[in-house]
Amino acid sequence: MVIRYIKEPGLIDPVMIAAWPGIGNVGLIALDTLRRSLRAEQMAYIEPYQFFYPKKVIIRGGELVELDFPASEFFYHRSGKRDLILFIGEEQPAEGGGVYAVGSMAYTMANMVLDVAEKYGCRRIYTSGAAVAPIHHTAKSRAWAVPNTAGLIAEFKGYDNTVLMSDIEGRGGEGNIAGLNGLLLGIARRRGIDAVCIMGEIPVYLQGFPFPYPKGSRSVLEVLAAALDMWIDMEVIDELARQSESELTRLYEKLPDEIKQQLDRLKESTVAAAGSEGLITEEDKKKILEDMDKFFKLDGGGEQH
Amino acid sequence: MSGEQPIRLSGSPDLKEATMIVAWAEDAGSLGVRTTDYLIQSLGCREFGEILPEGFFPMGGVNVVDDVARFPQSKFYVCDSNNLVIFKSSIPRVGWHRFLTSLLDVAQQDCGVKEIYTVGAMVSSAAHTVPRLLISIVNNKEIKAALEPYNVMADNDYETPPGQKPTLSSYLAWLAGQRGIAAVNLWVPVPYYLVPIDDPRSVKRLVYFFNSKFDLGVDFTALDAVIAEQNNRIAQLFEKSPEIKNMVRRLEVGDGLDGEESEKLAHEIAEALK
Repeated sequence: MVIRYIKEPGLIDPVMIAAWPGIGNVGLIALDTLRRSLRAEQMAYIEPYQFFYPKKVIIRGGELVELDFPASEFFYHRSGKRDLILFIGEEQPAEGGGVYAVGSMAYTMANMVLDVAEKYGCRRIYTSGAAVAPIHHTAKSRAWAVPNTAGLIAEFKGYDNTVLMSDIEGRGGEGNIAGLNGLLLGIARRRGIDAVCIMGEIPVYLQGFPFPYPKGSRSVLEVLAAALDMWIDMEVIDELARQSESELTRLYEKLPDEIKQQLDRLKESTVAAAGSEGLITEEDKKKILEDMDKFFKLDGGGEQH
Repeated sequence: MSGEQPIRLSGSPDLKEATMIVAWAEDAGSLGVRTTDYLIQSLGCREFGEILPEGFFPMGGVNVVDDVARFPQSKFYVCDSNNLVIFKSSIPRVGWHRFLTSLLDVAQQDCGVKEIYTVGAMVSSAAHTVPRLLISIVNNKEIKAALEPYNVMADNDYETPPGQKPTLSSYLAWLAGQRGIAAVNLWVPVPYYLVPIDDPRSVKRLVYFFNSKFDLGVDFTALDAVIAEQNNRIAQLFEKSPEIKNMVRRLEVGDGLDGEESEKLAHEIAEALK
């Protein structure tokens, strides 16, 4: 299990931001948008062979010419004051065949990512993903922030459109973060590195479907821009969000009236806001998911429930 | 476990520039295993080692198949007189790279293997009466040229579609190529209605290929008897049911069946071959 360095740039007080695929690919889209916008350059990658099954074979004229593996790559960007290391994983190393990382391979990969963070003296790490919430896709997603130390709570309370677990009705500050987004927080804590997971909200009824959700990604980027005190070009993510909303609205119009009426109630829902009363119950939520599954005949999944 | 070799061998066979045939248990119609079993029995191959299951298969219990508890097996057989090694295994659920690396270590270091052939089935909508094709995917041009005299289709283009993964045989061929070992993935399209049962014609196609290529001196009598028995039973079904006969005729000329017809054909053939 090896980290291969393509470049070893000198970086000033860098911060690391990491993302893997998950619900709506919220974290991955956010980080990929940031990488493109900053024109971040690749500096290293984790050799995939011990972690992943190949993702694609290319055969030409009966000859196997290429076998591709999911990439786990590090990029860097020099901002002049606080530099960035971005880690983008195309897949989570899941020993049970699921989407989310579990088992010793996941632990090993998380440690390898942190090895790079420590090598460059990163004092803070961000992971990014999705928070499944009872919101409507026409609403603005909030960002949920989960730090790995209480000392960071005050900072994240101060950012716009950002909530903590304790702000979410009925949670009492508790929850779980599936996969490497969560694992990295825990292992970073063990190593004495501050880490925060920023999760953009995705409507509960989209959690089981293979649709990207860039509106959630935008909320993640907004928090990162504030926390890193940097300007991030939102033009591309805004366009992606517009396209996504338009496609979802088109799909929405095809839903049976009964399902649509249930989902329309979410337009008024503010259950993620502190102190508000939920307009849909857990029973409603379950029925919505069942009806949506029946309609699309697909299975659901979860990253942050 | 991570640092240890997960291999147990009872001695190294005395082979030079040997050929290895690899079959996976979870193959459509169990074609790979049926083919290698026939070769093992016909040629009198002996078992000489295995890849141990820990780290490759979930250790959460056993599956029961045909009333018997089964445990994943990954075994090596050798036929010294034919310079042939056979590896028959369940498909590992995790640790694929380490598993295939272990397999290639045995092939290269203990058996001096020069060429690896994997055997497997593709599900086909063709009729069982149609001659079986043999399709190859190779990892270098030299081995492709060496297959030319054997009536093998060797010019396919393919890319894994989104949402699917490459086969373990492709992975093995790629890793073998990294070590300079020639590898061929052989695929036989098996009629879909024989997949849950057995397709001895496809077995014969593969055994015939290996027999021709490596001059193994295989006796086909037992295999021919199985094919004759299957033909006989299907002929009896055709006599009883002109509708089924007509469905097969339509498949022979390339006319597809609708879903209901396909299911009926599969059901009736399965009943006839019970």
